[in-house]
Amino acid sequence: MNPFYKTSLLTVFYLLLTQLITAQTTSIRGKVISDDGRTPLEGANIIIKGENKGFLTDKNGSFTINTKAPNVSLIISYTGFETQEINTAGRNTITVALKTDKKQLEDVIVTGYSTQNKRFIAGSIVTVKGADLKDIPAAGFNQLLQGKATGVQVSSNSGVPGGSITFRIRGNNSINASVDPLYIIDGVFISNTDPIQTSLGNQQQSNPIADINPADIETITILKDANATAIYGSLGANGVIIVTTKRGRLNSKAKISFSTYYGTSEAAKKFKVATGPETALLTNESRRNTALDGGPSVALIENPESQPTFNRTDDLFRKASTVNYELSAQGGSDKSTYFAGFGYLKQQSIIKPSDFERYTARFNYDNYLTSRLKTGTSISLTRTKRNVSSNDNNPKGVINSALYIRSYLPVFKPDGTYALYGSFDNHLALIDNLDNDAVGWRVIGNFYGEYSFLPELKLRSSWSIDNNSEYENNYTNTLLAAGISTHGSASSFETKNQVLTNEQVLTYIKSFGAGKKHSINALVGNTINTVLSQATSATGTGFATNSLTAVSVAATRSGSSSRAQSKLISFFGKASYTYDNKYTIDGSLRADASSRFGINNRWGYFPSGGFTWRASQEDFIERLGIFNDLKIRVSAGLSGNQNGIGPYAALGLWNSGANYLEQPGTAPSQLANPDLTWETTRQVDGGVDFTILKNRLTISFDYYDKYTTDLLLNVPVPTRTGFVSYLQNYGAVSNKGFETSIHSTNIASGDFKWTTDFNISRNKNLIKKLASDIALGASGRNISILKEGYAVNSFQLYKQLYVDPQTGNAVYEDVNKDGFITAADRQIVGNSLPNYTGGLTNTFSYKDFDFSFFFYYQEGNKIMNMNDFFLVHGNAQANIGFLPRQLDRWQKPGDVTDIPRMTIFRGDPAINNSSANNYGGNVANMSNRYLEDGSFIRLKTILLSYTLPAAITDKLKLSNVRAYVQAMNLYTFTKYGGLDPEVSSQSGNQNTAGYDWATVPQPKTFQLGINITF
Amino acid sequence: MKPIKLTSLLILAPLLFFTSCKKYLEEIPDDALASQNAIVDVSTARAAIIGAYDGVQGYYAGNYPTLGTMPADNVVFNGTLSQYLQLDQNAIPADNVTTVATYQGIYKTINTVNSVIAYVPGLNDPLLSEAEKNKILGEAYFIRALGYFDLGRGWGGVQLQLQPTTDLSSAKGIKRSTLSQVYDQVLADLIQAETLLPDDATTRNRAQKSTARALRARLHLYRGEWASAEKYATQVILNTKYRLTPAYAGFFTAPFLSTESIFELTFSPNDKNSFWNLWYPSSAGGQFTLKPSATFVSKVTDPSIGGGRKALIAGTSPDSYGVLYNTTSSSTDPSYVIRLAEMYLIRAEARAQLDDYTGALEDLNVIRSRAGVPDFSSLSKVDILKAIEDENSIEFAFEAHRWFDLVRTRRAGEVLGITNQNYWLFPIPLSDVLSDPDVIQNPGY
Repeated sequence: MNPFYKTSLLTVFYLLLTQLITAQTTSIRGKVISDDGRTPLEGANIIIKGENKGFLTDKNGSFTINTKAPNVSLIISYTGFETQEINTAGRNTITVALKTDKKQLEDVIVTGYSTQNKRFIAGSIVTVKGADLKDIPAAGFNQLLQGKATGVQVSSNSGVPGGSITFRIRGNNSINASVDPLYIIDGVFISNTDPIQTSLGNQQQSNPIADINPADIETITILKDANATAIYGSLGANGVIIVTTKRGRLNSKAKISFSTYYGTSEAAKKFKVATGPETALLTNESRRNTALDGGPSVALIENPESQPTFNRTDDLFRKASTVNYELSAQGGSDKSTYFAGFGYLKQQSIIKPSDFERYTARFNYDNYLTSRLKTGTSISLTRTKRNVSSNDNNPKGVINSALYIRSYLPVFKPDGTYALYGSFDNHLALIDNLDNDAVGWRVIGNFYGEYSFLPELKLRSSWSIDNNSEYENNYTNTLLAAGISTHGSASSFETKNQVLTNEQVLTYIKSFGAGKKHSINALVGNTINTVLSQATSATGTGFATNSLTAVSVAATRSGSSSRAQSKLISFFGKASYTYDNKYTIDGSLRADASSRFGINNRWGYFPSGGFTWRASQEDFIERLGIFNDLKIRVSAGLSGNQNGIGPYAALGLWNSGANYLEQPGTAPSQLANPDLTWETTRQVDGGVDFTILKNRLTISFDYYDKYTTDLLLNVPVPTRTGFVSYLQNYGAVSNKGFETSIHSTNIASGDFKWTTDFNISRNKNLIKKLASDIALGASGRNISILKEGYAVNSFQLYKQLYVDPQTGNAVYEDVNKDGFITAADRQIVGNSLPNYTGGLTNTFSYKDFDFSFFFYYQEGNKIMNMNDFFLVHGNAQANIGFLPRQLDRWQKPGDVTDIPRMTIFRGDPAINNSSANNYGGNVANMSNRYLEDGSFIRLKTILLSYTLPAAITDKLKLSNVRAYVQAMNLYTFTKYGGLDPEVSSQSGNQNTAGYDWATVPQPKTFQLGINITF
Repeated sequence: MKPIKLTSLLILAPLLFFTSCKKYLEEIPDDALASQNAIVDVSTARAAIIGAYDGVQGYYAGNYPTLGTMPADNVVFNGTLSQYLQLDQNAIPADNVTTVATYQGIYKTINTVNSVIAYVPGLNDPLLSEAEKNKILGEAYFIRALGYFDLGRGWGGVQLQLQPTTDLSSAKGIKRSTLSQVYDQVLADLIQAETLLPDDATTRNRAQKSTARALRARLHLYRGEWASAEKYATQVILNTKYRLTPAYAGFFTAPFLSTESIFELTFSPNDKNSFWNLWYPSSAGGQFTLKPSATFVSKVTDPSIGGGRKALIAGTSPDSYGVLYNTTSSSTDPSYVIRLAEMYLIRAEARAQLDDYTGALEDLNVIRSRAGVPDFSSLSKVDILKAIEDENSIEFAFEAHRWFDLVRTRRAGEVLGITNQNYWLFPIPLSDVLSDPDVIQNPGY
């Protein structure tokens, strides 16, 4: 809600009080209700026209006024409803039903440091209502934005509850600096740093935003273009997400709500590996071929066809449950408002044994100390608990240990103990004994004071803290492979990520001139921001028994700690001027100084400007009779990115801890860069929003062009200098794209309503300047590459042209045509960024029933299927089994297939069409044979709900009861051969996206729920 | 408090911050030193040389021994990580993780000792005695010699970086040297080290005069300077500080630092070496990525070839695994850099080359008899050299020897079948080829 309205409301309110005492004569009784025909409106303003007298309704919506004249006009207003004027026409009792003012509610949105009327905003901003995200069994609200907002690409990296997600607003702006947006919750800059230290392979361990209960959210505003984000300066380049949580309303009775749901989830598709006999047969074939080629002769497996099959992968999966409870109360008196909410969520992973549990509590409170001074607070407290489990590139992960072991090998030894093979652990041992607890405590709190010098001039000062602590206790007992040699090992981590923010904002909002043709909305302010990261860890090995698990009782113990702090000081200002509701021009400027920047480049300046033309206000457009609303926007600006510069990255340092013989040592660790500074993103945005067909069809279109320069790059330097890379501002990346959203009210007749929302976003990413290629990913296999002229997240592989039907050998493209297959023949064969993403929602309502379904889609991204790579290996991996796909291998001349002849003969790897390069040699891991199209369309949610009719709820003394059934991820249309195309197993590094590697797939969930409001 | 006062406070607060802004924005770490304060007194000088040893530990713990074994015939790939498969198959791309990490580790260490060599002589700390200064400098020269020696035998004539890197422009213009120039530098540094270093009767995990001599013996062997090789090997053999352990397994049995050890890098519970993890099967908590080859297992278990050296393996064929690095519960295996046994075999080879067959056989049989295998006898130079080569292969099976020996004697083609001599050197890391205009890749990569 715009504070402006609140203030006017209050001003009127006090005026009324003073006038009330002197009034007398005729008495008129009445009641003000909402347009639903029953809800009384408490605290509505009633003004007697011409008498400058006013009253408020009581909690039943009733009022009594005394007036001298028998016929008076009453002006009745209430926030969120259209103001209505009614003549008493001699009546002594009247009932007024106010109409909900949809326009007003939707038009005022939260933007950077202010609220603005959407009609006049030049920037590209999307808002999503909290109500649209409720009751979906996913922990983080950012995850729930998938397919709901244009220009935002969201995907889960795995199906682990509370697990990490990939969230990009208009593409990847950076290579080494973070590409995650800035999250602000009720004015608090919050930390999006993953606090979990337990190594889970190469995946980012958790989604820190999952600490926020989505049920507490009123609205989410996503600032996308520079016009909207420049005010956040060096924090804004990746976009900004502003979350406003629920608050009470003045003069409203307590509304108590209770919601709960229960869901069960399972995998849509499970792992399938070759049987024991198939595995033995394939192994023997490879051994025979290898010997034929001149390689070592290894004894064959006897009786391959009678080998047993041990199905490990089915042991991994379970029917996972999700339970959620929410309880909240909101309301307000004449001087204060409150919202209190409590939530509990427990979600199991569909792959044993990980789970996620969250308790949240929130208290939001506002109080008018005087008519001019308002104070308030927003506090949330969260406790999360995860039982984490490592996977992807960790061979001792649960999935690895079930998926990769050859299926003819028994799970248990003859003596009944767990059998272990190769680098892997025993999957059942892991499921039963994995003990990695991560408990997070998070406080996000804000306290503010707001003083109105004049109705149009306000100063707000706000003090915020985000304190995120994580406490992890891990114990690896002697039944697990990792605990065997150490006789049990334990580790304990305590991590704190803290953000302190203080800000002052002076706001001036005024309309003046004849007919209020001129409107000004301006502000100046400053912020001081401190970010602290601290960690302490202790590890111990050697335990007397598996019942003792504390580090303190280990035979050998060691500890470590780290601390890093950075500070940011900023000044900013923004102003917009609107003429005659038609033309708006705005501008903003921010100056940032950061302790992270080099001494030569400490201050950064970020300007922006925009222009909006509400063409529908022009007579000549109005006369066309086509547009109900038409708005054209253009904007340009600069925003920055300093995330990713380590707190001390600009300094020349020798690190300590280079110890030897229990003596302390130091060694050079980084070269000084006094010029180090933020990345700058220049963005131009043009957009048009229009509504046609009697407000039934709203279409919004944006085109943007972003160009980021001074990329923070770890530029590789000659190794002989003693350094591997040097962090400097070098390089450029471009993101261009368009976004369209369509909202259509297809049918709105009486009891039946059908609306459709569709959105599509396209982003094209291109690295424009880079010091040299940077290859990385897949545990040193360097499959991902950053290369000038290509998009980030590109895959660099040998391109397999075909398998020679005569020889059965794979033939690769000889890119440099030198007749040999060498490293120079790797080429970029695709990337993991989708071309298009979007969503389609259809909502139907008939009387008390609502039905909706939502599709999410993405197109054009590639997935590196590492499971395929490891399990279709021609026997090169002595300890790993096969996928059924290996059975398609070439066997005899004339066979046409893309899986080459099985052999591990080590010949000259430079020769093309030779058995050396079928599964090993130079192309050991780099063939595009394992790269797949990851496009998909998914029926993300389908929902049917029923709301009890008012007649019944009234009898039950309830105000609302709704029950629903919902299904999530019911069906996915894709050509991808792995379990699930929404996957990114190497998400620990943003430049190694798009791998599928022993990862938990997205669950399919069925859910039942009920919401009750008292 | 009246509201107006609160307001003025709120306005004042940022103003106050603004004035002290510059100071406010200065943040320094509590776990790192500013470069200009890195070597300024006795404690920082000591810390710097310790940091250099830590650097050697870094690449000798696992990587260098892997490079010295895996491309040859005693150790084969048995895991999932491609870098080891590539080494095993001698199909090593320029971004092979192990070669890149080793190359980086060595140059990082060289940069540390270059700083010691550049800054320690100028220190005027009364607490830093001349003797200690010489010792620190001697250690720095030794570590640099070891670094360039290991670069030379792996990558050929590398670039000689002899000054600390203070900024990137200072490093420009240094081209690759020839292997001979690299070895000249190693020799020069070893001569300095031998002059500056002390010698005592116990130290085996820091450089000493005799450590420098031992490395020098090896350098001369690699250069085919037989007389010098014999001379320096003899000097070390005659030092009473060193004795072969009675049983072969003695040198890799805790508490380590055996009498046979000339230079080993000590690890501890706070400074772990988990190289064993790559050798042990998962039933013992390892990854089993590196596996003794079937031919090696059959040789080492043959009483006439392996003898006591069968202690290098455990388990039963075909799942035998290497146990040279065996501290599975504590991860404190040392890196074995130079052992006395090598001095005998260096002298044996040098003597054979100098046609002193009796002397050669004497030294060879010292090693054989310690392992409990019968004496070797022959009067054929070729046979004796072959016997020494085979002895090296078994004696140093899992240390950084076999591959470099076969390359040094130019027999990698004959013995291993790697006829393309380009593959006898490791590739220069891809990132160097891309970022360094002064470097040229080794041919064939």
